[in-house]
Amino acid sequence: MEEVDNILIHALKQVGTEVSEETGSIKQFSSELIVEAVVRCIRVIDPGLGSALPTSLPPGMSARFRVGMSLAQACQDIGYKGEIGYQTFLYSNEPEIRSLLMFLVEKLPRESAEASDQPTGKSVVLQKAIAAAIRAQLAVPWLPPNCRLPLHGETQSPGAQHSFHVQPLSLPHCTKGPGKKQLKELQDYQRDILPPVTAQPSHHASVVASILEQHTAELSAAQEWDNEWNTQGLLSRLTPQEYRSRKLARLRKRIEEQLRSAALPCPDSAFGGSRSASDLSELLQAFRGSAPSDHILTKGTHFTHTQKFTFTQQAAAVSSPPILSGHQSESDMQLRQQEEQASLQQQLQQLCSDVDQLAADMKHMSVTNAQVLDELKQRELGNSEKEEKMQVKKKTIDLLPDADNNLPKLQAVVEASAKRVVHLASQWEKHRAPLIDEHRRLKEICSNQDLESSRKLSEIKSLHDKIRVSTEEAKKKEEIYKQLVTELENLPQDVSRSAYTQRILEIVSNIKKQKEEITKILSDTKELQKEINSLTGKLDRTFAVTDELVFKDAKKDESVRKSYKYLAALHENCNQLIQTIEDTGTILREIRDLEEQIETENSSKTVANLERIQDDYKAIRQENSALAAKVREG
Amino acid sequence: MMVVALNRLPVTDCLTLCHRVVDGLCGREPPRKGDYSATWSLEEWLQLLHSLTALFRLAVGNNSSDEEVLAGLADVGRSHAEAVLSVLRARREEIRDALLDRTNSISSATLQDFDWQLKLALSSDKISSLHTPLLSLSLDVRENRALRSVTMEMNREELNTLISSLEAANKVVLQLK
Repeated sequence: MEEVDNILIHALKQVGTEVSEETGSIKQFSSELIVEAVVRCIRVIDPGLGSALPTSLPPGMSARFRVGMSLAQACQDIGYKGEIGYQTFLYSNEPEIRSLLMFLVEKLPRESAEASDQPTGKSVVLQKAIAAAIRAQLAVPWLPPNCRLPLHGETQSPGAQHSFHVQPLSLPHCTKGPGKKQLKELQDYQRDILPPVTAQPSHHASVVASILEQHTAELSAAQEWDNEWNTQGLLSRLTPQEYRSRKLARLRKRIEEQLRSAALPCPDSAFGGSRSASDLSELLQAFRGSAPSDHILTKGTHFTHTQKFTFTQQAAAVSSPPILSGHQSESDMQLRQQEEQASLQQQLQQLCSDVDQLAADMKHMSVTNAQVLDELKQRELGNSEKEEKMQVKKKTIDLLPDADNNLPKLQAVVEASAKRVVHLASQWEKHRAPLIDEHRRLKEICSNQDLESSRKLSEIKSLHDKIRVSTEEAKKKEEIYKQLVTELENLPQDVSRSAYTQRILEIVSNIKKQKEEITKILSDTKELQKEINSLTGKLDRTFAVTDELVFKDAKKDESVRKSYKYLAALHENCNQLIQTIEDTGTILREIRDLEEQIETENSSKTVANLERIQDDYKAIRQENSALAAKVREG
Repeated sequence: MMVVALNRLPVTDCLTLCHRVVDGLCGREPPRKGDYSATWSLEEWLQLLHSLTALFRLAVGNNSSDEEVLAGLADVGRSHAEAVLSVLRARREEIRDALLDRTNSISSATLQDFDWQLKLALSSDKISSLHTPLLSLSLDVRENRALRSVTMEMNREELNTLISSLEAANKVVLQLK
């Protein structure tokens, strides 16, 4: 019970009850202490319910009675199932109080709940502090820079708010390619002229931003490449260089297509159709980088290029006619100019339509040309076939005059060639079979390798996935570990906790020992019982045998009859003796039970409580009579 | 070509000047007129700067060989030409990167730089306790060679919208690759 009492007292102290150091068990609790402890517990469990209850007993007896009643009611409201009433508090009884306090302490909210409440409280407090500080700063009037005290420097100087700007930096490690030999000029430059990174940006403030930006850019590029390589690059089964060059070619082709499709609609819409081809080729050349680099540098889209092109043409057209002498009168000149303009316009239109027509003609011609070329090729093919046929026929005609001689010759030739064909075929078969086998074997190996490599690829992929997953997990676990460590550090260094666990372990081991002993005793008892049973059986049997023997002889001999009587008497007496011993045992047990009952009754302080009840009863009567007297006086 | 004017400078100074010109080409601080005001007039200075820049750009853009560059610098003294060539050799990669960067920002408006500040509004004139984080994002957009700053303030939802739309745009770009 001492352990339980210690735990209870510790919990009650945490709730805020003032338990003095000397009180070591519930037995020593006074009524006042009990009331205070219960009220504080109720206040923590249910603040609404507990705030109406006083923490100390009032002096008046009837008031005490009322407090006891309301406390009992509150405990029942919280959910206490045991017997409870005003007497529990006023005339305390150790087991009852203990069970009540245990119930209340168990009902106390756990510390974890408190911990989760704490941070919000802290952050709210911090925010309030910040808001208060800002309000105070806002309340300070603005001062011109010269009048500022150091106190205002932090809040009113504009130095704190400049934005960060990024400037490109030149870092030696970036320019050095892996495995590439460094140029001597580059080394000289880096050694002699390149300023340190901190001196490179024009403003000192942008150093950090520039460095961070550069590193982020490099990092993200590396990550992107890594990602792409893992998802697509590995599957393509190329080396990184090959993959890169293939991607470059693909992108180039794609952009070219885009430009082509974007450039096509232009000539139809606004400008003459004839220029599209040259313009496009120029553009594409510019894109490939083989044209003068001016084209790369002018940041023009295809649109600007086209525009530029038209403008130059028009300018050329305008500037081409000879400039007339300025001696004529102005109106004349204007008229002339207008005329000229009109004619030029006409000319231009004419030319445009001509150009259009020519372009259409050209297209048509090119199509026809292609057709004609096709036809030509076909005819040539037909020609060569016919020539072959003709040669065969010519030979036949040559052979015809000497037909009799030539026929067997021809047959012999035919037979020989047939034989040769057969021979060749058999030879071919001979060669073919191993080759086919070889081919099959190689094919099989190839497919096997294919399978193997794809399997390995998938393995690699899964490994990559696993690595990623496990790194993430590791990171997460590390974070959790850190969090837990900080939590552990933040936990109150409560010694009692470890003490409790130790005690609990001790108690558990004690219980184990006791259980062992109990089983031992039980087995002993069982053995004894067995022995007793066997002995009684033996006794019965012996008695029966003796009885029979003696009874047989008793008929013949008088002395034996006497002895038989004695035997019967002895047996009966022994039975009685055993009965008496058993009765004594039961009586002893009853005595022990009664003693225990007496002890429990003694522990509940019945006599003292009875005395106190009598005293309180007297006090109430006195109060009542005093009140009655007051009433009478009033 | 005004590169001839380089002859007025000693070779070592010429080397530094060329490096500074390349710095300017790569987006860092270009050389200052004040440092060379004794050597050249303003007009000469501007022309020299322009022609040097054009020279470097052309040489890197065309991937021209040393001989070609030297032929372009025929009227400059031999040692000066060597100095220019050494600068070109040392900085070829950097200039190439800068030119590629220029080509990349081909569209009419490009994002040059950005900056952000996170602010926590604790209260407003109407609400005593607000506790809303606000992000003020400023984008430096280069539009027709002029730098324009676009500044906006967003709360959490607006920022999420912005980020998701930017992510969608990035996905489209990735599909193009």
